Amino acid sequence: MKRRTLLGGAGLTVLLAGCGALPVIPKRPLPEAGDAQGWIRYADGRYTLWLPRAEMGQHVDTALLRIAGAELDVPAESITLQLPATDQIAPVRATVGSESIALFALPLAQACATLREAVAAGRTEGELMAEPRPATRLRAFRPGALAAGSAVAHPAGQALVRGQPLFTADVRRPGALFGRVLRSPASPDLPSRLVAADEAAARAVPGFVALVRDPLLTHGQAEGLGLVARTPGALDRIEAALAPRWAVSGDFDADAVLETLDVDRALEEDALPHAVVDARIDEPAGPWDVDLRVHIAAAPHAAIEPRCAVAEFDADGRLRVWTGTQDAFYVRAVLARRLGRDAEAITVHGQRMGGAFGGRTLCTVELEAAVLARAVSAPVKLQWTRAAEMQQGFHRPPSSHRLRARVVGGRLQTWWHAFVSSPILFTNAALPAWLHPVTRFTGDAGVARGADMPYRVPHKRTEYALRRLPLYTGPWRGLGAGPNALAVESAVDECAHHAGADPLAFRLAQVTDPRLARVLQRAAEAAGWHDTRPRGRHLGLACGIYKLNSYAAVVAEVMAVQGRWRVIRLVCAHDCGPVVHADGVRAQCEGNLVWGLGMVFGGALPLAGGGVAASGFDEVPMPRLPEVPAMHVVLIDEGDAGTAVGGAGETAIVAAAGAIANALRAASGVRLTRFPLAADDPAASSRA
Amino acid sequence: MELNINGRASAIPAAWQDETLLWVLREPLGLVGTRFGCGLGQCGACTVLLDGEPVRSCLLPARAAVGRAVTTVEGLAQPDGVLHRVQQAWLDEAVAQCGYCQSGQMMATVALLRRNPRPDVAQVDAALAGHLCRCGTQQRIRRAVQRAAGATP
Repeated sequence: MKRRTLLGGAGLTVLLAGCGALPVIPKRPLPEAGDAQGWIRYADGRYTLWLPRAEMGQHVDTALLRIAGAELDVPAESITLQLPATDQIAPVRATVGSESIALFALPLAQACATLREAVAAGRTEGELMAEPRPATRLRAFRPGALAAGSAVAHPAGQALVRGQPLFTADVRRPGALFGRVLRSPASPDLPSRLVAADEAAARAVPGFVALVRDPLLTHGQAEGLGLVARTPGALDRIEAALAPRWAVSGDFDADAVLETLDVDRALEEDALPHAVVDARIDEPAGPWDVDLRVHIAAAPHAAIEPRCAVAEFDADGRLRVWTGTQDAFYVRAVLARRLGRDAEAITVHGQRMGGAFGGRTLCTVELEAAVLARAVSAPVKLQWTRAAEMQQGFHRPPSSHRLRARVVGGRLQTWWHAFVSSPILFTNAALPAWLHPVTRFTGDAGVARGADMPYRVPHKRTEYALRRLPLYTGPWRGLGAGPNALAVESAVDECAHHAGADPLAFRLAQVTDPRLARVLQRAAEAAGWHDTRPRGRHLGLACGIYKLNSYAAVVAEVMAVQGRWRVIRLVCAHDCGPVVHADGVRAQCEGNLVWGLGMVFGGALPLAGGGVAASGFDEVPMPRLPEVPAMHVVLIDEGDAGTAVGGAGETAIVAAAGAIANALRAASGVRLTRFPLAADDPAASSRA
Repeated sequence: MELNINGRASAIPAAWQDETLLWVLREPLGLVGTRFGCGLGQCGACTVLLDGEPVRSCLLPARAAVGRAVTTVEGLAQPDGVLHRVQQAWLDEAVAQCGYCQSGQMMATVALLRRNPRPDVAQVDAALAGHLCRCGTQQRIRRAVQRAAGATP
């Protein structure tokens, strides 16, 4: 079958015309059967799946291979997997929001069905139009179709354990040089410029190739100075010899950020313009039964692979960029706009990512590599340093929450959740300050995600304000859902304590959705919620709904180890509707549990001196092997009629941190209100 | 300058002799299975064996490896391609999510099992505590180490 001709990029027209004045994650049409036709091809007796999703460890490759195999009626292992470049498939949406299976499984299966029938009819050449047919007429969605071969090998598994090339930095182009862009260590949101550098010393370093000054190297408001060298190590030596000095306008630190986000001040000023649940509530005559202020610090993505791009101009002027990105078509569009080139003259080769978690949704390193490659007329490989990841990247915004509740007769009567955070979808890392006022009208659905609490409450109000911080903030696993659910589930748990009720029974009596009730029951059962426990062991529980289609409940168990509370077990019940790749879903649950552990026991992003005061992993600790407890995941896929496919990449993050916080409350009697937990927080110590 | 890598003598081009072992492996030699995570010795993704002991190749000058045996992840499988039991255990336990840190995790495990063929959980945790994984594969890493050690996980 001949390669499908590239569509004209119609889905990107809006983006090109609208420049930066759009949310980071651009709207692109939902994939349909016709788009999927280019994803699955047949030649020489073999099928090839051109993966329309970015692979970052979520095993979407395995899941879509299973769909294709079931529909084509061939073993998934027999299908060749290809990561397409932007000129090899029609534009697709960014790989974000745990929506790949929900949005891509059906059109892929439709295309596979059309192809299967054509091949069976003896056709082996030409281009077909996929027929949009309902799931009920597709083999991949028949009950049990995906049950067989559940242990299908991960297609990259062999390459990973053998250390074969998979990631961007593994791309080696003949004659490639190595690049870096130096900038002030301050936040790129603060204006900064180079005021002094010892260029002569830099040029004397062996391996020096060029210093590159180009306005396109300005990142946010931070001027950049490009370096090109013959070896990666020479970049370090040139940087040291240059000893650049930067002038930075403005300053901030952690206290300034706290003050900016102060939810109580926003409440005093009546300045919470965005309602998630817009109901009037009457303040009680006396004090609230529960009145919690919760602060959740900023957090880095901290993927182990620093972002990287390799850029090369072909002899005919085509720009080729290899990069690990969640959105290759967005990268292509930004490169076209910034470099003043036709998008058709740019090819972006999306590579496997060494973790992404929402952090690879913008175009940064790709433009840097392209500018340097253009300047030196040679291919350039450019990988951010770990310091650049911390200081130049964007992070999960911090948030400040006030949660107030009235509990009457053991039931939630009134609920009022107000919070303040910094934009996520309208990230300041892509949206200039002068455009921030647009969020006054739009709000930020990313910040609001997961804020609507899933319990029956007669009087409920949830509202928020956006404050643009000088720290770059943006999408992070689950967007606002992780922090919002942590705040909500802490307060709900406190309501249960106030009512003197069992936290499980309290929730079950008031959840509005039977699927949520079911994950709560299954998690509680699997964890032995009602069993007698050894002395000194304490359980906590939390649950939530992600994007209205996926459910998780987590039970955490803690005990004292050498004077500190330690999580010794995490049990998760998870319902994302029909499961395509069970082990992949389990792995995503485990990942979210570890992220939840990090939200409580990890490091806060240190802010000082007008930026992120961290240049390595050590300043922002993530959970290490000895801290990760035993984890048990219960998948719920009962074949309920009409259950839509949900998502698994982020769902369990809505319950993991809350369960741990609630277990610590049960153990210590202290309600955690600042996350992550500081070493001197009384809730951290078991020696009360 | 020559390095002994995975049992073979490899000539190091002059322009690369002042680089760290990590860059020499990855670029002129093309052994890209050893990965760059931080350049600070904090994450363990670049771990290789030097005379059987795990070292952070991002901090080790290539010159310091002259005259010593360097083993990288590419050197674990037998010449006929049969996987090392640690690699096989990693596949059997489906450890990897993104996989970026896993070469380093496996190299540290190979070194651990040479030293201590039957490590208990605490010994595994201690040996791999310095190897970060952001995806959250820690439970599977623990199981894979036990499987490679011949214990039923």
